Amino acid sequence: MKISLNWLKDYVRLDASVDEICRAITFLGFEVEQVIRTGAPELKQVVVGEVLVRDKHPNADKLSVCQVDIGPAGGVKTIVCGAQNYIVGDRVPVALAGAVLPGNFTIKQSKIRGQLSDGMMCSARELGVAEDASGLLILTDRPALGTPINAVLPPGDVVFDIEITPNRPDCLSHLGIARELAAWFKVELVYPQENFHGDTGAQSRPELLQSVRVDAPEDCPLYSAHIVTGIKVGPSPAWMQQRLTAVGLRPINNIVDIGNYVMLEYGQPMHAFDARKLAGSQIIVRRAADGEKIVTLDGKERALNSRMLVIADAAKPVVIAGIMGSENSGVGDDTTDLVLEVAYFKRKSIRWTSRRLALSSDSSYRYERGIDPHTALEAGNRAIDLLVEHAGGKVVGPAYIVGGDVPWQREIVVTHGFICEKLGFDIAEADMEAAFESLELGITRKEPTPTRGTAWTVNIPSWRDDLDRPIDLVEEVLRLHGTDRIPAAVVSAPGLALEDDPVVLFNRRVTDYLVGHDFHECTTYTLRPGRELTSWVSQTAAAELALANPFVDDQSHLRPTLVMGLLDVLKLNQARGVAVSHLCEIGRVFIERNGQNLECAAVAFVIADDAERKWLKRGAADFYTVKHHVFALAAAGGIDLARQPLVPVTGSFCGWQEGHCAAAGEMAHGWTARFGLMNLAMVKALGIEGKVYAGIFAILPEQLAGGLVRRKYADFSLFPTALRDLALVVDQATPSDTVRKKLAGLARAAAGGKFDVECVEPFDVYQGEGLPAGKKSLAYSLVFRASNRTLTDEEVNAAMQKVQDELAKTTDYAIRK
Amino acid sequence: MQATLNALVQKAAAEFATIQARPEFEAAKARYVGPNGELTALMKQMGSVPKEQRPVVGKLINECKVHIQELLDAAVDRIAAGELKAQLGPAVDPTLPSPDAGPGTYHPLTLVREEMCRILRKVGFAVADGPEVETEFYCFDALCTPADHPARDAQDTFYFPETARFGNVEKRVPEEKYLLRTHTSSVQIRTMLKGPPPIRIVSPGRVYRRDTTDATHSANFHQLECLYVDRNVTVRDLKALLDYIFASLLGKDTKTRFRPHYFGYTEPSFEVDLSAQHLPKVKKEWIEIGGCGMVDPAVFSAVGYDPEVWTGYAFGMGLERLAMLLYGIDDIRYFYQNDLRFLKQFA
Repeated sequence: MKISLNWLKDYVRLDASVDEICRAITFLGFEVEQVIRTGAPELKQVVVGEVLVRDKHPNADKLSVCQVDIGPAGGVKTIVCGAQNYIVGDRVPVALAGAVLPGNFTIKQSKIRGQLSDGMMCSARELGVAEDASGLLILTDRPALGTPINAVLPPGDVVFDIEITPNRPDCLSHLGIARELAAWFKVELVYPQENFHGDTGAQSRPELLQSVRVDAPEDCPLYSAHIVTGIKVGPSPAWMQQRLTAVGLRPINNIVDIGNYVMLEYGQPMHAFDARKLAGSQIIVRRAADGEKIVTLDGKERALNSRMLVIADAAKPVVIAGIMGSENSGVGDDTTDLVLEVAYFKRKSIRWTSRRLALSSDSSYRYERGIDPHTALEAGNRAIDLLVEHAGGKVVGPAYIVGGDVPWQREIVVTHGFICEKLGFDIAEADMEAAFESLELGITRKEPTPTRGTAWTVNIPSWRDDLDRPIDLVEEVLRLHGTDRIPAAVVSAPGLALEDDPVVLFNRRVTDYLVGHDFHECTTYTLRPGRELTSWVSQTAAAELALANPFVDDQSHLRPTLVMGLLDVLKLNQARGVAVSHLCEIGRVFIERNGQNLECAAVAFVIADDAERKWLKRGAADFYTVKHHVFALAAAGGIDLARQPLVPVTGSFCGWQEGHCAAAGEMAHGWTARFGLMNLAMVKALGIEGKVYAGIFAILPEQLAGGLVRRKYADFSLFPTALRDLALVVDQATPSDTVRKKLAGLARAAAGGKFDVECVEPFDVYQGEGLPAGKKSLAYSLVFRASNRTLTDEEVNAAMQKVQDELAKTTDYAIRK
Repeated sequence: MQATLNALVQKAAAEFATIQARPEFEAAKARYVGPNGELTALMKQMGSVPKEQRPVVGKLINECKVHIQELLDAAVDRIAAGELKAQLGPAVDPTLPSPDAGPGTYHPLTLVREEMCRILRKVGFAVADGPEVETEFYCFDALCTPADHPARDAQDTFYFPETARFGNVEKRVPEEKYLLRTHTSSVQIRTMLKGPPPIRIVSPGRVYRRDTTDATHSANFHQLECLYVDRNVTVRDLKALLDYIFASLLGKDTKTRFRPHYFGYTEPSFEVDLSAQHLPKVKKEWIEIGGCGMVDPAVFSAVGYDPEVWTGYAFGMGLERLAMLLYGIDDIRYFYQNDLRFLKQFA
């Protein structure tokens, strides 16, 4: 809200500098967003002069030597001038010796290129009244010679653009801010003088307004309507126009301006009706009918509904209560009799309607935040005073007042000890009392307590609805004490033996792992476009992940995988010619399962073909590279993927390349892992060059909460191993691990507990020449070891023979010689 | 005899000097000391040497044997050295770049978050976490945000349809809606509901506002909040924490100040400004960095803590804003574009 310094000075004496006032406003709890200077500053020794003679300067092409008449007191002065926009006979501002112009520029008598100059003729910019520096400020109104320039120019003002916090609607007014500043600077607050006090005793004029009815008192606890006749619509007085202009309002006419002025003074919105335009001379405050229409002042037709409050006449709604009037009910140039509405509408009602209609105004802004019902009638009286004074109005009859009997009584008891305890430092009792009093928080009772100093009973004024509990008064005391005066201290940190959240620990482990493996950690948006989701999850799942109210189309759904964002990053870097290969992200994903979304902690990475040419070739990443990383990431989440069945990822919505990827978990036990090659066609369609391998691991936060299981140490043998190789010819479709498991099982059986089968691992995979069609050869290395001796060739050979015999009997695997 | 032996040693020395490979060496070795070797043959002649000459001849032969063994050892050492050298190839050019990708980099938001968490851990704050999809209760109601507060508006907050179901985020009442949390204060509520005070947590995390994306706004961004609940926690303690945090992060010449402000869940409430001359972004003397205050008694009531007994403070700030300040970044979107030229600057 814009607050004018000149205006404030009507209510409070402010001798402080603008900087000090800014600081005061800031530390009172309101942010000063901007300080705007308007009009002319105080300028001494600057007067109106007329150019009598303009001669070319003998020593300079662009300068003139002028004779300037500054009136009988000053006579004629010689002034050297560089401007070009004036002619002989023009009246202009003349700064004489001793004048101090903005920027601390002192004018002296001086020689310019050999010519004596008695002063300076000024531009608007030099006087600090406007930005125009293109030439002299020509005073076209031709004011009298010698007139001090401040009498001619609009008066200077300082306007503070202040952000008012939502708890302080009382400060959406000049009086409100003045009250705060009076408290800060410890000076008196002077309220505007009021002459009208509600009734002049003049006869009522029922033909102008017959009745006021409030059908919805729950939304409108107070409605008052004053009738003012004999109005002459015209411009408002200059001082009022200047103030309104200074705070950003356009003066319209005396009636509208007075309404705005009082609103900005007291914070109380009001509305003036042309009495002739009220059908049936009635005012009805009621809910709108569903579908009822009104054309508001901004020229738009708006459809109302039955939750919206309107001010209606006998025929139609004429105002959307507290928000905006209709086009044809307002005051016009020919209005002579008006009805002035001063009302109290409930915040909720106004807020709901304003949001619903996407329509707000200075009035609705104040009602939404809450006005002081007890100020309303006072503000109405003030408006009447101004209407009488500046619009030639006459009040007739008593005002219609409906409601307004809302009682206000609030007292808070607080002790000195309580406030000091909350603050952690001491403020003297006298200072606290002074703080309360200066904010008009009257102390109605003082009582000593045994241990906590004085107990004050503090009376809360009706405009301070935000003060409700003793803690609220702590803030008031601290505000006036100054929050910049809180004494320094060291942080006391009595030990609290808490561990970081398991998800945080997991995130740290996987981030460290991936960054340690040369990945660049990325951060991408959680919200993704809906159309993109269909490449990753089923239609049903995509529907479950949709927001009700997305802001933009391409951020409409929760992400089911982090890979989507990482592909964007690949693309962006490739497009910008930045070599990119290893990327990862750690963050939340949302996985649909059985019609429910599950929020999971997740990690994902991609490895793209590195397009950069290198002087030394390295093997490209492949399926087994990403498998390795995913196993490590799952381990960080407490999942041993080596013990989990891997299944192929399939489905038409699959972002993964069929036959080149695998999955595990699939949320059956609260986690899932996927890894392999990204669908080639999808990657190409996205505009990404080359192949992309990726891996993801996601887990429910609660799954991580179990912590890590402490393992038990197992003894290990120090005797040497015995190694044997075995190659088997199997169907191409047979997974190697199936064969491995079978082999390991048989080897263990053959060892018969007499020694250990330490490991069975494939070391060669072959298909092609020399093998039957549809077959492949898998070669395994078997490692045997005993815990208590060196194994003999005989016993190992015997075991291997048994394995081969069993393979021949129980499988169709052929031994490759 | 001596002449024969000397000749033999000389011949061996000349032969061994040119040997490069092991098979050659083995053959040469056999020629002298093998069963049919020349030295072996001479040694076999010992029997025919007259008895009185035996000690002399024996000594000579032995010397010869030692000599040849030395020559053999030298040769085998040379061959072994040659073999090792053959493994090496030409010397490297240490100035050529490694063809491997990397090193990896942490995202600047991670760096800032972890630094803040480390600073706070030192004074006893544990890192807490909570869901990003929240219910109205945790995000608003428990924080005393009235039902018609503008922050709750569908204009500012992302909601999910009433039919949406989130399996691991429980609703307190069936009619409340799911939403994307607008602040990490919901984690404070969850932590307080989980157990009794004292509590000292820091909750960094992703939050969402329904806002136009531009240089300073983003549909999702990150916050970091601190909550401390104990007996006799004061405004002065809160100021001490802020002083400590920013002096740790930015150096001793950093100053903080409180300006009174308003938040629904703290009373009194403050905005926090900081001043640190050396920061490129701090051109003005004071720059706003976060909000804080003493936990409102109504919040304690909402989570079942006795407001007569427990006191506390809360502090919150935007991580992007802090990172922008620390590193001198002027567009929030850079954090989400992940241009590698950006990411590699902060490692």
